[in-house]
Amino acid sequence: MALLLKRVAVVTLPLLVSGCVSADGGFEPQFGFDRVSQETTAKLGKETVWIQDRNASGHVRSRVRSLVQNKTISADTAVQVALLNNRGLQAAYAEVGIATSDLWQEGLGVNPRIGITASRLGVARTIEGVISANIVSLITRERRLDAAAAKVAEAQLGSVEKTLAVAAEARTAWIEAASAWEQVAYLNRAKASADAAAELASKLGGTGAMTKADQAREQVLYAELTGRTAEARLAARLAKERLVRVMGVYGQELDFEVPNTLPNLPRNVRTRNDIEAEALRNRVDLRLAKIELEALATSYGLTKATRYVSDLELGAGLEVEQEITENEDGSTSKKDVTSGIVELAFEIPIFDSGQARLRKAEFGYMRAANLLAEKAVNVRSEARSAYQAYRSSYDIARHYRSSVLPLRKLIEDEGLLTYNGMITNTFDLLTDTRERINSTTQSLNAKRAFWLAEAGLTSAIYGGGETPSGSGAMVADAGGDE
Amino acid sequence: MVSRRAFVGAGAALAGVAAWSKTSAMSLPDAPIMEDASTQPPLAPSAGPDYNPVVTPNGWTLPFRMNNGWKEFHLIAEPVEREMGEGMTAYLWGYNGQSPGPTIECVEGDKVRIFVTNRLPEHTTIHWHGMLLPCGMDGVGGLTQPHIKSGKTFVYEFVMQKSGTFMYHPHADEMLQMAMGMMGSFVVHPKDPTFMPVDRDFVFLLSAYDIDPGTYVPRVMEMTDFNMWTMNTRVFPNIDPLPIGLNERARVRVGNLTMTNHPIHMHGYDFSVTCTDGGWVRPEARWPEVTIDIPVGAMRAFEFDAHVPGDWALHCHKSHHTMNAMGHDVPTFIGVDKTSVAKKIRQLQPDYMPMGTKGMADMGEMSMPIPDNTIPMMTGWGQFGPLEMGGMFTVVKVREDLAKGDYSDPGEYEHPPGTVAYEWTGELPMAAKAPDAPVKTGSLEQKSATPAKASDHSGH
Repeated sequence: MALLLKRVAVVTLPLLVSGCVSADGGFEPQFGFDRVSQETTAKLGKETVWIQDRNASGHVRSRVRSLVQNKTISADTAVQVALLNNRGLQAAYAEVGIATSDLWQEGLGVNPRIGITASRLGVARTIEGVISANIVSLITRERRLDAAAAKVAEAQLGSVEKTLAVAAEARTAWIEAASAWEQVAYLNRAKASADAAAELASKLGGTGAMTKADQAREQVLYAELTGRTAEARLAARLAKERLVRVMGVYGQELDFEVPNTLPNLPRNVRTRNDIEAEALRNRVDLRLAKIELEALATSYGLTKATRYVSDLELGAGLEVEQEITENEDGSTSKKDVTSGIVELAFEIPIFDSGQARLRKAEFGYMRAANLLAEKAVNVRSEARSAYQAYRSSYDIARHYRSSVLPLRKLIEDEGLLTYNGMITNTFDLLTDTRERINSTTQSLNAKRAFWLAEAGLTSAIYGGGETPSGSGAMVADAGGDE
Repeated sequence: MVSRRAFVGAGAALAGVAAWSKTSAMSLPDAPIMEDASTQPPLAPSAGPDYNPVVTPNGWTLPFRMNNGWKEFHLIAEPVEREMGEGMTAYLWGYNGQSPGPTIECVEGDKVRIFVTNRLPEHTTIHWHGMLLPCGMDGVGGLTQPHIKSGKTFVYEFVMQKSGTFMYHPHADEMLQMAMGMMGSFVVHPKDPTFMPVDRDFVFLLSAYDIDPGTYVPRVMEMTDFNMWTMNTRVFPNIDPLPIGLNERARVRVGNLTMTNHPIHMHGYDFSVTCTDGGWVRPEARWPEVTIDIPVGAMRAFEFDAHVPGDWALHCHKSHHTMNAMGHDVPTFIGVDKTSVAKKIRQLQPDYMPMGTKGMADMGEMSMPIPDNTIPMMTGWGQFGPLEMGGMFTVVKVREDLAKGDYSDPGEYEHPPGTVAYEWTGELPMAAKAPDAPVKTGSLEQKSATPAKASDHSGH
């Protein structure tokens, strides 16, 4: 983790609509941003810009340049540059700007501000998390239950997810690239051993001590390894290009390096027994979907939430209903949930549908509520999966490092001794070396799997992973229905 | 170095008592145990007819006691740790603490009673190889006697009908037990002390083991590819020499319990085989030799008069048998320039040393780390340099000033001045030429062994 933690940084970004709308309703694009910039400078001695004009663009460009040019960048730097510089992200922010402008036209002011924190593990784990938390609280606070606000929310959703996704993608791409270069380095070592064997074989051929077939056997190994190394190098270059795209850099900014090695495994891993609760609390897509459900209810005219049920209860309730048809038991009893479950439960507002103007609206609402419940269930599972992957990949990577590699080392060391004793030959020695390198490569794969799982943990808790949210469509439907 | 171990195990003690009650009220004879792999002094007879005792290089002789006219010995078959050479110990099975077991000596006409206690995990027997005795004493498990189970003691009783050189070894699970080192020499002296007398009488057994470098236990299933070729389960450079006084008559008795023949060659002297395990060879049937082939499962005794002093090598002439553990899959690197290869390999294996490009003699000089419990393939140093030997190799040391009965190593031979091969530093004589031979500028140095055309052929 050391590489990722080089810098304790709090970068406050003018995400989406900062300063677009002032509190008194005047449209001052730079207002919010100035505030952000001041805060950032005070905390970091660093500046950030929301790219709204040429000047700001130049600013970002030079800042990005100073972060990457002629440097070997850390994963945190990669994420930070991506957040600063990814044009797709800027486009998403602009979407929100447009929506907010519309909202402003409606005379409704919002003044959201987003802080990005890249800090030490354990304090505030990730940049991504803090962004999402802030956005969500902002949206919650500034919810406007009309079409313009829904559009804002939709755009906000898009930009939030985009932000998280970009951050996750940058981190993943960085891991893939560093890992790929590490693989290349080890394959090069394996190739060197095959190269030595091939050369020795051809020299033995020259003195008349080795058959053509045996020479060819050594040489084909070298040739194959050369192919594999070239493949690995290509993979590494492509991985770096993927990182370049996420970071949105080009031209002279391309002059940066990714480390040739992934950070070592941490000494231990965090135990996260509350991973489900944490995900339910923090998943941006889930919370936004909930807001949208409430917006949907409003659009159907269901104004008053009469109660809240958890996703657990909702699921149970559905089961009971199914049993009713078979067992003639019409009573639906509402069970109190224990505090432990409350901690774990995701509450879904149930609006009193008695006042529903349309039967259709009620069905529409229940459909959305169940989709939300499904999502909550999935989020729990994703959180558990991510944690399982994190824990197990750590154990696996450690196993390779502390069990497999020492054994390979021992084999190689003993191989050298038997070689010294004229008991085995140079080729045996080189084979042992190659096998150790193969095991090392497996160990590197395991290490990469761990760091990817570590990054996946963030996505599982905060969102922005590869799971599509799909709740945006819901809002659009609701809007159309109105 | 003989120690006396108390009997342990009620089974053994009871079995002993049961066997003993038939013959005597006395207890079992002591079973001395040897803990040392060095040559023990010959054991002069404490009772009975006199004889000139044999010396067992890196071995010892089993003491006996007389009991109502019977010579009584006690062998204990048991697991042993045998030092095959410095830095290499084998976990074997043997007798009374060592492999090979102690040499048993007696005299033609002796009544011999041998107690055999089995402390192995499986049954055993002892076959008295080459001796004519009552069939029930021949020691073939199942055929001529019940097996000696673990913890039991059996008694063999027979009268020595002829003198000569014999062996003893198990005849129960024989393949495994012999591969584990169970064997010993058995010398029967002539009743007439004036028959075939010698001043020095040596006896050793040839045995072979397949002990993977870095391990301790022989691979008992191996039939051909052994890596420890031993004399008395000992390898060069740790086989004790055979010291002989100048002008003494010496006899060397060699038995072969490996699975291949061994042409035993002694430098310098010619000699005659005077005895096999079948008996003495009549003088008119002998002929002079410098190498005698010892067949599998046979013994040969050869004699010579040591009238020329010096350090005379005595070894098996199969050159792989004068090597220690080696790999048979190591390619021939002669003439291969490993310089650039070595550079590449050192990047991965910093301790890599290229070897064998000029030959393998560098192995004898370099002492690189090798696996635990392994003796280098070629090793040993003499006064002029590395000997580059191993396995079945020892030295007959003939010295003028050697006291009778002194079997300690007299050290390196001091060659009289002018009697050692020396380097010529003067002009070399011109080679004889035919009158019309074309003139060639010759170089004494052999060109590279690399066939220059090898690479040219590759394009064909």
